[in-house]
Amino acid sequence: MINVIGIGLLAIYFLILVAIGVYGGWIARKTREDYFMAGRGLGSIAVFMALFASNITAFTIIGHAGFAYEAGYGAYGYVIGWSIFITPFTYYLVGYRSWLLGKRYGFATQPQVFGGIFNSRLISLLFLVLLIYYTLPYLVVSIIGGGLAFTTVTEGLVPYWLSALVIIAISLIYTLPAGLRGTVWTDIFQGSLFLIVAVLLLSAVARALGGFSEITDEIVRDNPAMLERGLSEQLAPINWFSYSFINSIAVIVFPQIYTRILATRSSGNLKQVSMYYPLALAAIFGVSTLMGVWGSVAVPGLEGQEADNIVPLLIHQFLSPTWMILGLVVVLAIVKSSIDSQLLAVTHLVTVDFLPNIKRITSGQAVFWGRVILVFFAVLAFYIALIQPGAILSIAGFAFSGFSVMLPVMIGALYWSRANKYGAAAALIIPAIMLHLWYLEVLPQWTTFGFMPVFPSFVLAVLILIVVSLLTPPPSPEQREKTFGLFERVFK
Amino acid sequence: MNFKVRFMLVCVIVLIMFILHNSFFLWDLDSRIPLLFGFMPFAYSYYAGYAVLSVLVMKAIISLAWPDPPKEVTDQFTDKESSKH
Repeated sequence: MINVIGIGLLAIYFLILVAIGVYGGWIARKTREDYFMAGRGLGSIAVFMALFASNITAFTIIGHAGFAYEAGYGAYGYVIGWSIFITPFTYYLVGYRSWLLGKRYGFATQPQVFGGIFNSRLISLLFLVLLIYYTLPYLVVSIIGGGLAFTTVTEGLVPYWLSALVIIAISLIYTLPAGLRGTVWTDIFQGSLFLIVAVLLLSAVARALGGFSEITDEIVRDNPAMLERGLSEQLAPINWFSYSFINSIAVIVFPQIYTRILATRSSGNLKQVSMYYPLALAAIFGVSTLMGVWGSVAVPGLEGQEADNIVPLLIHQFLSPTWMILGLVVVLAIVKSSIDSQLLAVTHLVTVDFLPNIKRITSGQAVFWGRVILVFFAVLAFYIALIQPGAILSIAGFAFSGFSVMLPVMIGALYWSRANKYGAAAALIIPAIMLHLWYLEVLPQWTTFGFMPVFPSFVLAVLILIVVSLLTPPPSPEQREKTFGLFERVFK
Repeated sequence: MNFKVRFMLVCVIVLIMFILHNSFFLWDLDSRIPLLFGFMPFAYSYYAGYAVLSVLVMKAIISLAWPDPPKEVTDQFTDKESSKH
């Protein structure tokens, strides 16, 4: 199935990524601020594509299309509907205030921002541990997903272990020398690439299936349940409501997203990103929803995880081998742009928030140690992706929920001057424990009152933050002035 | 209008957007108008419209409650580049 044009396209794609890495490494200054924050000089397009490409994972094309195959057009609203608005809104709600603090006090990560607001090393440590704990399994799952997709599309010609190795190695080639600047530049390239090619793929599939109207008529005739949200068990209103608290509000908590917001050059840049972000999210998920639903009539009969292969199957059955390679490039672009940002994010956290506790390092040494740690995490993630331990995969299954339940503390810290470190610590620890007890089925299901565990955990986090803060001493006036004095001068 | 009032307005807007997303009372329209304009499935086109509405709403929120930092604040930034909007 792989032809010369296909190999040529893949080679060009990889060469562009390598060239970006080499050039980025060549012009980079050897400072911590430049390597991890691109000198806090990211413009609108760079931030937009960096956030978008890091936000979109293999799930968008593979998992979501498979879900739409089973649940119909309603999958679009269920998975991404609330995100279309609330994700860019959180860039304002949490992002802008954090950006102000970052610019004023030099904060670069969540442990620094929230440890700084509460003047607490414990809060800083809790953020560090929880963010790494949820990001690493998610990173491993991204590698597994990308590796499997690569192997599926090449029909086993490239074995899984080699696929995973190639994905990580290429990500390292541009991330290692150029840091955040390298990942952002490749995000601009890869993000544009997967948006354009995904739309081209969709129109090619539509043409091959007889045209948009023809396919839609066929769905209305043969499978009308795909049009009605009320007929799908998976889209039951209580699940729909609960899901609003999972992926949509989790995005701002991802360290790779949060850091990119802090690295934005100006408030104006962040405004432009927030305003147009809904269109990009709606576009890419719109494509994968249509692919999934069309697949349900074009390739009927897939069940369970088989449905996740619907996009490769559509391309394989209805398009030429060159399209298969283009599809592979889309999957690789999506997978790698999230893997590189996750790898750099955990490296950044360890280098600036953990390492200085055990060793004094200069800004230049931080770049060296950052690169060492980056390689360490890449090797670790590759190893875990090979052995695929059940515990790691279980954690990845609720990592999004884990991020979401950290959001109340972030909002409380930025908006409520009475919130204190005791409330914040309790609101980080207890909901995280409850989430584990619910997801690992230690607690019976009825204790969530029919909601997904993320919803009661989220409510619990809000209540604990309020109650414990009110029952314990308030933050000192100096501590409040540091954060809220700054906000009062901006928000008049 | 002071910032607190403007921010309350933003909260009301967010609540309306949340209700529009969890609009189970409109789900009947999926069967009553299966294809909007004769070709767009309702459940799908609802969120295409929601995306356009989100852009407009974000624009409103920005003009309502997202002030740029004043010079007295940007002068204290550790990175002075940010004062340029």
